[in-house]
Amino acid sequence: MKFIKMKYLFPIGLFLALFLDGSLTLAFDQYFFTPFIAIESRLVLLWLIMAVCYSEVEHILLWSGFVGAIFDIYYLGVMGIFILIFPLIVYLTREIMQFLNRSFIVVLLVYLIDITVVTILFYWVNSLIGFTSVSVTEFISRTLGPTLVYNLLWFVLLYYPLERLFEDVQ
Amino acid sequence: MKKYLLNKKLVIILISLIVSFLLIAFSISVRDKRNTPTFVQQIGNEAAGIVNRVVEFPIAGIKKANSSVIDLINAYQENQKLKAQVDQIAAEKVENQTLHKENQQLKEQLKLNRSLTTYNKVTAYVISRTPSTWQNQIIISKGSLAGVTKNSAVLSRKGLVGRVVEVNKTNSKVELITTKNEETDRFSVQVLSENGDVINGLITGYDIDSNRLIMGQITSKLKIKNKAHVITSGMGGSIPKGLFVGEVTDISNNEAGLPTKIYIKPAAATNDLSVVTVALRKD
Repeated sequence: MKFIKMKYLFPIGLFLALFLDGSLTLAFDQYFFTPFIAIESRLVLLWLIMAVCYSEVEHILLWSGFVGAIFDIYYLGVMGIFILIFPLIVYLTREIMQFLNRSFIVVLLVYLIDITVVTILFYWVNSLIGFTSVSVTEFISRTLGPTLVYNLLWFVLLYYPLERLFEDVQ
Repeated sequence: MKKYLLNKKLVIILISLIVSFLLIAFSISVRDKRNTPTFVQQIGNEAAGIVNRVVEFPIAGIKKANSSVIDLINAYQENQKLKAQVDQIAAEKVENQTLHKENQQLKEQLKLNRSLTTYNKVTAYVISRTPSTWQNQIIISKGSLAGVTKNSAVLSRKGLVGRVVEVNKTNSKVELITTKNEETDRFSVQVLSENGDVINGLITGYDIDSNRLIMGQITSKLKIKNKAHVITSGMGGSIPKGLFVGEVTDISNNEAGLPTKIYIKPAAATNDLSVVTVALRKD
């Protein structure tokens, strides 16, 4: 593992996660989007948060802005949403982690808060620009809840592999 | 010093917020007005599209394995049902062929080469889907190089599924008909009443809970049979006539002066797409 450098591994993983989000959504969209649940896959955020917590990647704010821009252009067709949200979350997480010890439970809770913030911000922006008119209660029960459960499931599955990966490769 | 730092952060936050809002406003106006997105967006889209095809490949494999297991389980029941229908199909096919031929001959006699129902087909496969509740978009593998144009209708094997909202060179974005979005254009559709008169209207919305499209702005209040077929009317815009939208399930005929709404069960499931056809009108 020593020959692989974080400099190369981090961007590759970042974009892999970005495109996996879309592909997973396409593959399982009959389970992701039903009248009662709507799941937003955010593997790319998991990769970013694990990188913030367990390694020191150079220019991580720039990278998160860049991946946010690709997300906007490729998936949404509306620029200026995730290009701001991703760096904001990375920045906030980095500030918070200065005061906390890194353990499974702590990172899980931080990740939970991050997902909540991202989902709420994304909903807020969309209702602001008139792409949705869903009420807050419906948003919480249909989107926020299932999204949290789904993303936490991935967190539990991928926490140990990613932790090992980020700590081994420097 | 500390106060200075705080100010600096505040300024950065404010500037990035303003830039972000400007970007949003700019790209929405591009999306609404221009036929192709800006240069930067195009480059990002092409690059992302190419990489995504590589990533999508193994996932598609997993999905195929999953669905073939489910297919195997359903095969027996389906077989029973299909057997009953097979006999009918042959007869209908022959009738269809005869009518098609007759139609062509009539068109030739009238010297009518292009009508609202003729369109070119471009077949594309679905690369990805936006991981978002608010944008029901899929990304398909054909773009302007294959002749796809903005606002064309997109069909699955069963019927209408959406419209093209953004065209790049080698991929394009399709907004599904199940999108609850007030910004997009409407599909103009028509349905036959019980006496055979045409009723025109627009698809004005979508009801998530019951999975029904809502047809509003209806031209007349004639009686409509349940399960009457709704098709696109080909009026206004770039969508050909006669694309199957769905079946009428329910009509809310309000006496109090409120507009009539017709509820339509969509023919095509928008939640399980792998290959789609873009219908390009010829005229």
